[in-house]
Amino acid sequence: MILRHLHLSNFRNFIDAQVSFTSGVNAIVGTNGQGKTSLAEALGFLSTTKSFRGVPTEAMIRDSTHTAFIRARVLHADGREVTIDARLTNQGRNQVLVNGKKLPKIRDLLGILRTTVFSPDDLDLVKSGPHLRRDYLDDTLAALAKKYDALRLDVDRIVRQRNAVLKQSGGRLNSAVASMLDLWDEKFSISGTQLGAARLELAEKLTPLIVHAYEELAQRPSDITISYSPEWLTVGLAKSLVEARVEDLRRLITTVGPHRDDFEITINSLPARTHASQGEQRTMALALRLAVHRLIGEQVGETPILILDDVLSELDPDRARSLLQHFPVGQVLITTASELPVEAHIAKKVEIRGGTIISAPESD
Amino acid sequence: MASAYTQPMQALIDALSRLPGIGPKSAQRIAFHLIKCEERDVEQLSSAITKAKTMVKFCQRCFNFSESDLCQYCGDDRRDATTICVVEESRDVIAIEKTREFSGQYHVLLGTINPLDGVGPEQLKIRELLQRIEPQGVKEVILCLNPNTEGDVTSMYLARVLRPLGVKVTRIASGLPVGGDLEYADELTLGRALEGRREVVG
Ligand SMILES: [Zn+2]
Repeated sequence: MILRHLHLSNFRNFIDAQVSFTSGVNAIVGTNGQGKTSLAEALGFLSTTKSFRGVPTEAMIRDSTHTAFIRARVLHADGREVTIDARLTNQGRNQVLVNGKKLPKIRDLLGILRTTVFSPDDLDLVKSGPHLRRDYLDDTLAALAKKYDALRLDVDRIVRQRNAVLKQSGGRLNSAVASMLDLWDEKFSISGTQLGAARLELAEKLTPLIVHAYEELAQRPSDITISYSPEWLTVGLAKSLVEARVEDLRRLITTVGPHRDDFEITINSLPARTHASQGEQRTMALALRLAVHRLIGEQVGETPILILDDVLSELDPDRARSLLQHFPVGQVLITTASELPVEAHIAKKVEIRGGTIISAPESD
Repeated sequence: MASAYTQPMQALIDALSRLPGIGPKSAQRIAFHLIKCEERDVEQLSSAITKAKTMVKFCQRCFNFSESDLCQYCGDDRRDATTICVVEESRDVIAIEKTREFSGQYHVLLGTINPLDGVGPEQLKIRELLQRIEPQGVKEVILCLNPNTEGDVTSMYLARVLRPLGVKVTRIASGLPVGGDLEYADELTLGRALEGRREVVG
């Protein structure tokens, strides 16, 4: 999939800006605070309807205005050209049009513009608690098939409903509470097990790709293990819930299930989260994104657009060079504060200054 | 928190924001709209609400909206009293009636099991449903709830309490929209339709 053209108005600090891109590597150059990350953010929004900076819609609308527009023209692998229009507003609902038609559900946008975004914040993927790594697996599942988006929402809802039953019980188990817990446990066993099985299958596919991406960046064989092996999935969720019931009633929360899983990564037999160096953690975070990028390309037959936001300032020079030499296939958009070295094989350079885009002519 | 509005205006906004699906922003917008409206339009709206509230009641048997003690379906002897279709709200009755595929009676639960909203089985019209089974000689109960988390759980609960009474409990298959090509069907709908497949009788 190739992004041909992007048009922003009242988005962040862009009043009205247009830019064309080409296949291959597109460099977006600008010093900090000029708007290069905003450009990447606009594209991320079109593919997920969320900001990858994790901010609400209002934050993406230019100060003193109420509505921002993003328009992108995207060429699919089968030759179809698709125009996506997003209208972001701080008064009411955001709206997305695909080829001028309104989407019935925002979920229908999945797959129309596929992006893989790597940003400096992704360090948290390795460093923080398990929940970002669960989201990493679930986001990937949802990108592979829409049904997983519905499944994760279902599981999330079940846990919140079951916790409400526990809270209302005040920790006392009478027959009414037992009957409600039995009911939610039955539902949780079905949906939770489906999610766990899907995560397990995905983790098995991703592991070799992550190891490969990591070793390519580090330029040497590395001792990495990645494991998704929750105990409840082996024991069975129904049985685990029965065993945990006393504890659940004591703590008034659901203590076992897919909402507590981790996707554990070790480097040299030590947990990457706590024991790896900052450089190793950054390399691992990038490897996690590159692995998903490749898997989605292989499974859906359409390589996403790879967006690398400020990646070069984050990696040490050796790893940065090896990234530039081993760019995956497909279109790459890379934002950078400094000029890129020749190894990057830049097809197009776009310069950004104070919310204004200055495009250089395409080179070969 | 001190309010930026005068007391009557704030009271109106508060009342509107308690309505389903209306957030604080929408409540504000509707309130401003109402104040700007012609007096006559506002009177029309408020009398429509009062009139509907006094005239429209719940059917004593199935809890569908009704203007008399029994709704038009419970009061009609031509409808099959041995088959009951269970729905969440009266609007679902209207949707099913439009299909002209169902000639039994209804039972409206007035919601689904939803602990987050404080709704358990006792808050729904489930006891009333169980009390209809024997006197009406009900043979089949068709569960026609929304295919979401709460709808699924409520269906599971109903199956649990109905089966011991010796009735057949079935669930509608969430199917494909008619007239749509299979190839363009949302994969979620198509997946659900496959799960709910039936044997072809021929
Ligand atoms: Zn009735």
